[in-house]
Amino acid sequence: MTMSNLDRRDFLKVLGISGAAATLAGCGHTSIESGVEEVMSYVHPQDFVVPGIGVFYASTCAQCGSGCGIMGKVREGRVLKLEGNPESGISGGKICGLGQAGVQAHYNPDRLRTPMYKGEGGLTPVSWETAHQILEQRLGPNSPLKGEEIAFLTGGVSGHQRVLLENFLETFDSTHHVTYDALSTATGRAASKAILGAEQPLWNIHKARLILSFGNDFLGSGVSPVYMARQYALFRKAPRGTLIQIEPRMTLTGGNADRWYPIKPGTEGILALGIAHDLLQHEEFSRGVPQEILDLVKNYDRDAVSDITGIGSDAVRLIAAQLWNNTPSLVIAGPSVEGHSYGFSNAAAVQLLNVILGNRGQTMEGQAEHPFPQLTPTLGSYHALADLNQKMAAGKTQALLVYGTNPVFTAPSHLPFAESLSNVPFKVAFVTHMDETAGHCDLVLPLLSALEDFGTHVAEYQPDGVEVMLQQPLMEKLYPESKGYGDILLEILKKRKPEAYAAFPDYYSYLKTAMVKAKPVFKVSDSDDHFWEDALRNGLVKWDGKPTSLEARLPALTMPKPAELTTDYPFYFVPSIRPDMRDGRHAYLPWLQESPETMTTVVWDSWVEIHPKTAEAMQIKEGDILQIQSATGSVRAKAYLFPGIQPDTVSMPLGQGHTQLGRFATGVGVNPYKILDPIFDDHTGELAMHATRVALRKTGEHQVVVKDEGPTTFQNGQKLVATLSADQAKLSKEI
Amino acid sequence: MSHSVHSHPQLDVQVERKFIPKQKDLGADVTWAKINKDVLKSLEKPRPVFWVIFFSALALFSFGVYCEVYQYQNGMGVADLNNPQVWGLYIATFIFWIGMGHSGTLLSALLHIIHADWRKPIYRYSEAMTTFTLLTAALFVLVHMGRLWQFYYVVAYPNERWTWPNFTSPLVWDATAIGTYLTSSLLFLYMGMIPDLAICRDNARGARRALYRFLSMGWQGTDRQWANFKVAYMTMACFLMPLAVSVHSIVSTDFAVSQNPGWHVTSFPPYFVLGALYSGCSGIITLFIVLRYVFRFEAYMTQPILNKLIKMTFAIAMVWTYLDLIEYATTWYGSDEVAKADLIYRATGDYALQFWGMIFCAMVMPFTLLIRFVRHNYVVLLIISLILNVGMWLERFQIITPTFAKSHYPWTWTAGWWPSWVQWGIVAGSFGWFTMLFMLYCKIFPSVSMYEVKEMVHEQNMEEKALAAQTDVHEAGLVPEMKGGQA
Amino acid sequence: MSLSNLIQNWNSFRTRRPYEGQYDDAPYKWAMVIDLDSCIGCNACTVACYAENNLPVVGKERFGKGQAMHWIRIERYWGEGDTMTSEFPDHGAQYLPMLCQQCEAAPCEPVCPVGATHHSPDGLNTQVYNRCVGSRYCSANCPYKVRYFNWWNYPDRAWPNPLELQLNPDVTVRSKGVMEKCTFCMQRLRAGMDKAKTEGRILADGEVLTACAQACPTSAITFGNLADKKSKVARMWKNQQVDLAKDSQEKSEEGIRGYRILEELNTYPSIVYLERVRNLEA
Repeated sequence: MTMSNLDRRDFLKVLGISGAAATLAGCGHTSIESGVEEVMSYVHPQDFVVPGIGVFYASTCAQCGSGCGIMGKVREGRVLKLEGNPESGISGGKICGLGQAGVQAHYNPDRLRTPMYKGEGGLTPVSWETAHQILEQRLGPNSPLKGEEIAFLTGGVSGHQRVLLENFLETFDSTHHVTYDALSTATGRAASKAILGAEQPLWNIHKARLILSFGNDFLGSGVSPVYMARQYALFRKAPRGTLIQIEPRMTLTGGNADRWYPIKPGTEGILALGIAHDLLQHEEFSRGVPQEILDLVKNYDRDAVSDITGIGSDAVRLIAAQLWNNTPSLVIAGPSVEGHSYGFSNAAAVQLLNVILGNRGQTMEGQAEHPFPQLTPTLGSYHALADLNQKMAAGKTQALLVYGTNPVFTAPSHLPFAESLSNVPFKVAFVTHMDETAGHCDLVLPLLSALEDFGTHVAEYQPDGVEVMLQQPLMEKLYPESKGYGDILLEILKKRKPEAYAAFPDYYSYLKTAMVKAKPVFKVSDSDDHFWEDALRNGLVKWDGKPTSLEARLPALTMPKPAELTTDYPFYFVPSIRPDMRDGRHAYLPWLQESPETMTTVVWDSWVEIHPKTAEAMQIKEGDILQIQSATGSVRAKAYLFPGIQPDTVSMPLGQGHTQLGRFATGVGVNPYKILDPIFDDHTGELAMHATRVALRKTGEHQVVVKDEGPTTFQNGQKLVATLSADQAKLSKEI
Repeated sequence: MSHSVHSHPQLDVQVERKFIPKQKDLGADVTWAKINKDVLKSLEKPRPVFWVIFFSALALFSFGVYCEVYQYQNGMGVADLNNPQVWGLYIATFIFWIGMGHSGTLLSALLHIIHADWRKPIYRYSEAMTTFTLLTAALFVLVHMGRLWQFYYVVAYPNERWTWPNFTSPLVWDATAIGTYLTSSLLFLYMGMIPDLAICRDNARGARRALYRFLSMGWQGTDRQWANFKVAYMTMACFLMPLAVSVHSIVSTDFAVSQNPGWHVTSFPPYFVLGALYSGCSGIITLFIVLRYVFRFEAYMTQPILNKLIKMTFAIAMVWTYLDLIEYATTWYGSDEVAKADLIYRATGDYALQFWGMIFCAMVMPFTLLIRFVRHNYVVLLIISLILNVGMWLERFQIITPTFAKSHYPWTWTAGWWPSWVQWGIVAGSFGWFTMLFMLYCKIFPSVSMYEVKEMVHEQNMEEKALAAQTDVHEAGLVPEMKGGQA
Repeated sequence: MSLSNLIQNWNSFRTRRPYEGQYDDAPYKWAMVIDLDSCIGCNACTVACYAENNLPVVGKERFGKGQAMHWIRIERYWGEGDTMTSEFPDHGAQYLPMLCQQCEAAPCEPVCPVGATHHSPDGLNTQVYNRCVGSRYCSANCPYKVRYFNWWNYPDRAWPNPLELQLNPDVTVRSKGVMEKCTFCMQRLRAGMDKAKTEGRILADGEVLTACAQACPTSAITFGNLADKKSKVARMWKNQQVDLAKDSQEKSEEGIRGYRILEELNTYPSIVYLERVRNLEA
C-alpha cells in the first residue's frame, strides 16, 4: 500500500528530531533541510518515549465548555487520538464526536502560524518581535488606556485564563470583560434562578422517572452532553424512565423521546401552565401554591391550551397524568422556550412545574459552592455584546481584545459588529484560525492549540463535587511562531506590573504556583510537586463539594399569548443548534463536516427543514432551493422534508456559511444568524432567537441534497431497529 | 421448381406429380474455382464501407482507451460507482459479451456434430465472433477491477508463497471457465482454418505468404492429413459443446450463488445460456448482413441459410422468453418478499424504461421475424437484429443495477443511479474494439470456410446428381412405386 | 504450505460454520452487543472510528455520489413499514449504528476471488488490503452494505499537511482500488492479544475495546470476548438468548430484546442488537 502524497520527510521529522524538549518544533517546515534542526534516530529516546507504544496523557477537552476530562494517546511525539478520562466525573471515560475532533483542530492545515498585522494591503505576517512591540506600544506600561476604553471580548472562559484576563484588565483599572455567547442561555438561566434559585441546577436524570423536556437538547447541544448522555443511559435502565420532549423542531434528544410533541413555537409556557392547571386539580400538588399562581393557571384549561399550542387536549391530560403518576420527575426548558420576547416568562412557566411537582431535592439540586469563584466560567450573553457594540459605535472603546468568540460571524445583521469594529483604533485577536472577526482586527496572534497549551478549566455544570480540570500539552507545538494565550497575557502583565508577575517565566509556572497555593483547599497532604504531578496525571483536582438545596420562589407571572402568524411572514423560524457545530466555531473540522447531522443525515451544507405536509401544499420537493426571507434579511438554502417539525415552522441549522475559517468551512452553506429579527427578551434583553418569522419563496432552482440517507427513510419491513413496548421489556432481568 | 406430368395409359388418368425440392443453400453457379476466387478476393479489396466501419471502430476504441486510462489514473470513482452500485455497466456489458460468444460455438460445434451443412459458409466468422467477444468480455473483467495491476491474483498460478485464489468464489470459476473457453475457441477457430490458410498461402505473395505459410503449418491436403484433421476437429467440437454450456452457467453463478434479490434464482444457469445463445444468434445475423455486403459474399450467405439462422434465433428467443417469464413467476409466487419487491421495482421504479425496453426489444421484437418481408429485407433485418441485442444488453443492465438499487438493506438503496460518461465511454470502446478486431480478422483471414463450402458444393452436386438420376429413372418409368400403383 | 495443508484447508471449506461449540476451545471470539435503547444517535462512535482507523474525509461531492467511507454509520429511520404511520414521529427517531457484523457465515467471504477477505480464528471477518484486487464482489454480496471501496486514491486529498500527522501508525492507509470495512479495531485487539500472550494469559474482559465502544457516551456498545463465558458480552448474549450458531432464536418468554439483523439470511452475525424500548403509552 502506498501513502502517496504524504511526504516521507514529514514522517522523518516526526519520527526523529533531536533536542530535549523542542522535538517537534519543525513540523511542517523545512527546518531540517535548512540545518536548523538535525535528524537523529530514536536510539536514545527520552525515558517516557517508547517507539511504537502509545502513552496516554490526561488533559481537558476545550472543544466546548463542558470541561470533559480527556486522555490523549501520544506516540512518537504525536498526539493521535483522544479518549475520555475515566477519572473525570464529567466525561467518565467517554467522549463525544466534537471532542474527538479536537485533534483535527490541532492538526488543522489552516491554523494561523504567524502573527498578522494590518498594514496597507490588509493583514500581513509579521514577526513576534514586531507583534510584541505593537502590543507594548499600545497596551504596555505607557498605555494611556483606562477603564472602559479597553475591552476584552471573549467566549466563555474559566480557570486561570479568566483570572489572568481579569488581572490584566485590572492593571487598566478596568473590569470590562465582555462575555458573548451566540447560543446564550442567559434567559433560561435567569428564569431558573428566579423560580428555583439556581441558574443551572443539577439534574439527577438517572433518578427521574419521567423527564419532561421543553426543547432542551441535553443529549446533543445542551450544557454537558457527555455527562447527560451517561446519565441518560442510567435513566434508561430498569426501572426505565420516560422521556417526553416538546419542541417545534425535533432535536437529538427529541429523537430519543418516548413521546415527542411538535408545539407551536413560543407556546411552551402556555402548555406548561395548562399542565399545571391539570396538576393543581389534585390537592397534593396545589398545597402551598400561592394564590397568584392559582389565578394565573386558572385560565389555562386543556381546550384553551390545546387551541394555542396545537397540542391536543388529550395529550395535555396525558402528560399531566404521567407527571403525577411518575415521581420524581424532571421538567427542563431549552432554547426553543427562551428564544422569545417573553422567553423569561415562558421558561419560568416551565420551571414552575418543577416546583409544583416537588422535584427540588429529588431530581434537582443546587450545584456545590465552588471554593474558587474566580475560576468559575464566565457565561456569555447577547446583550453584553450589544452593550459593547454600542460603546464601540460611540467611539468609547480604544482597544479591543478578542478571544474565543467570533461575533462578526454570529451577530445578526441588525448588530453591525464589523462596522463598529472600524471605530476601535486597536483590535487584537487571539486565535488559532483566521476567522471573520480576526479578519477585521489589527493584530492577530496565533495561539497554541488546546492540545499544546496549559490551562485550567472549571465546567459550568459540575455534577460530581467540584473539579478543577487541568489542560496540559499533549505534544510539542507544531508551529514555533504560535504562543499560548496565557503566555501572551503574562508577558504584557510582566511589563505592566513587574512586581507581581516578574517571578513567572511562563504561564506554566504561573499555573503551577497558583494551583499549588490552592493545595490546602483540596485537602491534599502530598508535597507540592507530588500534588502538581498527580493533578497533571489525573487531569483534574477534585474538591468534595456537596450539592446544595434549592430555594424555590413562585413569583407572579404574566403569560402573553404569542402573536399570530401574518401573511407576510407565514412561518416560524427555528435556528437549530447542531451538537457538533454549536455556534459555528467548529465548522473547520472535516470530521464534523462529514459527520451526518443526526436528524437529517445531511453533510457539508445548510438546509431548510419543512414538514412534508407543508411542502406538499407548497409543492416543494427535497432539494428545491428556497429563499428564506425575514424582516431582517434573507438566505437561500435547499429544502429538506423533515417530519419532526411543527408544520408552521421551518428550521435551519446554525454554524455554516463561513466566509473565513479555513478551507473546510469557507463557502459551505449559509449563515442563518444574519436573518434573525431584532426581537429581544423583555426581561433579560437577550436576542430572542426563536422569534423570527419568515416567508418562503421558491427560486425554481434545484440541487441534490448531499446526505447519508437514501431514497427511503423507513425500514421497509426489515427488522433493523425493532421497538419493544416498555411494559413488555424485562430490563430488570438484563445484564 | 420442376414438375412433370405423368400420363397413365392403363387408367387413363392424368396424375400431376409435383417435386418441390429443397431450396438449395448455395446457387448452382458456385463452383470450386469461384469459391477460391471470391473468398481470396475478400482478403484483397473489400467495399470502401469496410474502411468506414474499421476507422469508426478504431475511433470508438481509442475513446474507450482514453476513458480507461483516465479511470486507471484516478480510480474507479470517475465511473460514479458507489456503495451499493459497485458494478455498473462493466459487469452488465461483461455478461453481454460473454453471451455473444456462445452462438459461434453452437453453430460451428453443435451443428457440425449433427451434420447441419448449412452452417458451413457462416461458421467461420461466427467462431471468430466468439473469439473476439470473449476477448472483449475479458477486457471488462480487467476494466472493472479496482487494482487492475494485480489481476493475476485471480489466476491459479504456482507461486512461492503458495497463495491460491479462493476456489469457492464464482469469480475464480469465471476466470477459469472463460480462460478455458477462450483458449479452446481460439484453437478451434485456428484448427478449422488450417486448410484454408494453405489455400491462402498458395495464392498470396510477400509478407502475407510468409504469414500464411507459418500458420498453415505445412498443410498439403494429403489423405492422412485430412483424416487426422477430421478426427481432431470433431473431437474439439465435442469438447467445446459442454464447455460452452458450462461457461455461461458459471457466469450465472456469479449471481445465483449470491443472496441478492433478483439474483438468487435457481433457473439462472439455463436462463443465462439461452440468453447467451439468443444474443449470439442475433449477433450472427447482424454480421451475416454486414459481411455479405462488405465482402461481397452474396453467393455464400444466401437467403436459405439466413432463413435457417432466423428460425433458430426465433426458437431460442422463445425458450429464453419462457425462462425469463418463469423467473418472474417464481419470484412473484414465491415467499421472498424482498425479491418480489425488487421485481416490482424493476417494472415500476427508476429503471422501468430499461425493463420494458428489454421486454419490447427481446420478447416482442422476435415476432417480427415471422414476417416474410422482414426476413427478406436485409436493412430491416439488420436493424431488428441490432434491436434484439439492445434488448439483451438491457436485460443484463437490469439484472445488475435495480438489484443493487433495492437490495435487502433499505438504508443503502439508491434512487436513479446512473453511470458516468466514463462507463459509457468504455462500453462504447468495447464495441469499437470488437468491431475493429473482427474487421481486421475478416480482412486478413478467410471469413468464409473455403474447404467446407467446397464440401457443401460437392455434396450438393452429388445430391443433384442423385436427384437427377432419380428423376431420370422416374421419367423412364422405372420407378418401382409407380409400378406398384397399378395394382 | 504443503499438499496436506491444502487438503486440510479444503476440508475446512467443507465444514458448515458456525457450529455449536465452535469456539469452546478457542481463546477468543470477538463479539458485540449494541443496545438500541441506550444509543442516542450522537455520532461519537462514527468520529471515533474516523480518528482510530484513518478513515478519509471524502468531501461533499464524493459523499453525494455515495462514496463516503464511514465504517460505522448511524442510520436514522422514521418507521418500520414503508411510510409514516402518523403525521409526526411520535416516538422519536429510530437510530441504528451499522457496522460490519463480522458474520460467522459471511456472504462476502466465499465470493472473494483472491481470498482477501476471510475468517480469522478469533471469529473476525478480516480484509487483507494487499491481497485485494478490487472486484467488489464482497460488497455486492454483503446484505448490510457495510463494505467501503476506495473509489479514489483518498490519501491524495484527505489529509492536507499536517493533518496526516494524526494518522494512526498501527492502521494501514488504504490506496485506491481496495475494499475496506470495520475491523473491530483489529490493531487494538492484536496489540492486546500479543501483550497477553507474552504474559501467558488471555485478555481480561474490557481490557481492549473498539474505538466506538470506548467513546460511546451512553455505553450502548458492549464489546468483548464471546469465548470467555464470564465476559460481559458473553453473559449478555446468553441473557438475551441469542445463540451464535443458530439462524433463528427461540426465546423462553416475551420481552427479551436481543436479535441479530437479517439473521434469516444465514449470516450468523457477531453483533447482537437489543431492541429499542419505548413507552408507547406516553
